[in-house]
Amino acid sequence: MDAGSSSMIVMRGVHKAFGGRPVLAGLDLVVARGEVLYVIGTSGVGKSVTIKHLVGLLRVDAGEIWLAGRRIDALPERDYQVIRRKVAMVFQSATLFDAMTLAENVALPLRKHRGLGAAAALADARRRLDEVHLADLADRFPAEVSDGVRKRAAIARALTLEPEVVLFDEPTTGLDPQSARRVDRLIRELADRRGVTAMVVSHDLASIFSTADRIALLYQGRVHACGTPGEIRGSVDPVVLQFIHGRASGPMETPGF
Amino acid sequence: MTTATRTRRTITSIGSRTLETVAAVAELGSVAAQTLAGAVFGYWRGKRPAGGIARQMYFVGNRSLLFVLVTLGFVGMVMVYQTCLLTTKVVDGRNQVGAQWIRLLVLDVGPSLTAMMLATRVGAGIAAEIGSMKVTEQLDALRMSGVTPVRYLIVPRFLACVFMTVVLSMFGIAASWAAGGLTGYYSFQINPRIFFDVSMVEPAHVVVGLIKAATFGAAIPIVSGFCGLRARGSSEGVGAATTSAVIGSSFAVIVLDLVISFVAMTAFGAG
Repeated sequence: MDAGSSSMIVMRGVHKAFGGRPVLAGLDLVVARGEVLYVIGTSGVGKSVTIKHLVGLLRVDAGEIWLAGRRIDALPERDYQVIRRKVAMVFQSATLFDAMTLAENVALPLRKHRGLGAAAALADARRRLDEVHLADLADRFPAEVSDGVRKRAAIARALTLEPEVVLFDEPTTGLDPQSARRVDRLIRELADRRGVTAMVVSHDLASIFSTADRIALLYQGRVHACGTPGEIRGSVDPVVLQFIHGRASGPMETPGF
Repeated sequence: MTTATRTRRTITSIGSRTLETVAAVAELGSVAAQTLAGAVFGYWRGKRPAGGIARQMYFVGNRSLLFVLVTLGFVGMVMVYQTCLLTTKVVDGRNQVGAQWIRLLVLDVGPSLTAMMLATRVGAGIAAEIGSMKVTEQLDALRMSGVTPVRYLIVPRFLACVFMTVVLSMFGIAASWAAGGLTGYYSFQINPRIFFDVSMVEPAHVVVGLIKAATFGAAIPIVSGFCGLRARGSSEGVGAATTSAVIGSSFAVIVLDLVISFVAMTAFGAG
């Protein structure tokens, strides 16, 4: 199979079930190099599940995943260490390690992936934190800072290895509007200045329509609609309309409601 | 629902539970193998977190010392009191109680009771910590940072627990023997020189006792860590993992006690 030189990520016919309940049911998705693709959909539809497959945190039940022209869905755990140097992930709840300071959190990937010594890694980590205006808080523990600071530190940690692809899982959830827009601007800059490919899971319509190159709406385990923000806005598909207008009633089946 | 449908569902349910059990056993085996490999090889390659073992030794050892001393001390009092009551009812064998009690403490009661206490205190702590990291995606973040969760989280606890279970067992044995001696002296007028008699303890008993303590100390973090790694959902899942860790590690201690006792008895008559 040829995944295509312009495609950074290709997912074909991906199936994933948990406890017999299918979440992804033949998902097909292509992300171009340097593109910012937003993955949207209702809670529990499989957005986070989709991006976790790209770094081996979850394994497909069936289907193929290609990254930069290399098939990765059947790699052993050890080989995913190489993938994780190129593909970073910012988790929904920041997931900083409680027992480490912000600087130690950011230094950890440098020590483990790049083999830097503790002092060198910490020095580099402080520089990274300075870039996101957190130099003064480098020696604080995660419990001592706000959600917004934790999220920015988590982004600094994800970017510390200068990845080619960054996966964001709801990066603006829980942030005030000003911080959320800063995160949007950061995602846009990563793509425009560094050519980073970004896949962003989000419910934040303001972020989605201001930052995305393309938007993929997941529904019933597949990509139901995919297009530019303009195409999605102009869609007449009832499922798309219900989601982007936030209507409680409509054709979209929402699990648990 | 027809009988055929009910039968099919029952068979499917049994089959899926069997598969889940087999998968869980395989996962436990994998965690144990990774932990042992990490303990043997990983710690000579400078891959351990700085101060990780010392912190865990403090948590497992120092923070559990009073708990173990008090528990084993009370057990010593009760056991010696009850044994003296029994022996004085038939023939007066009080003079044998101290020598037999220290033999039993060294060979079995000391390591197994200490480990049971640690299974509740340390095992629950390990499962709760790792379980909460699991449900908040911190374990995924560790993997993304190039860290193997088992090596980073379980191996330091494993090494600390093996060493500290042996040390705490010694303290526990001493506390239980001393408390038993005081009970014997004040309640049954057993001369301390007669009670504190170690002539019944052979070197093989000490070796078997040490092997038991180290093995129990190894089992607690492996079983508890495994339960933490399998936590699902949110706080409810962490609670369930903690309960499973206490039950699983206590059960592991009992089963290993039986196995080692049987092997020791068969090999050199010191079970």
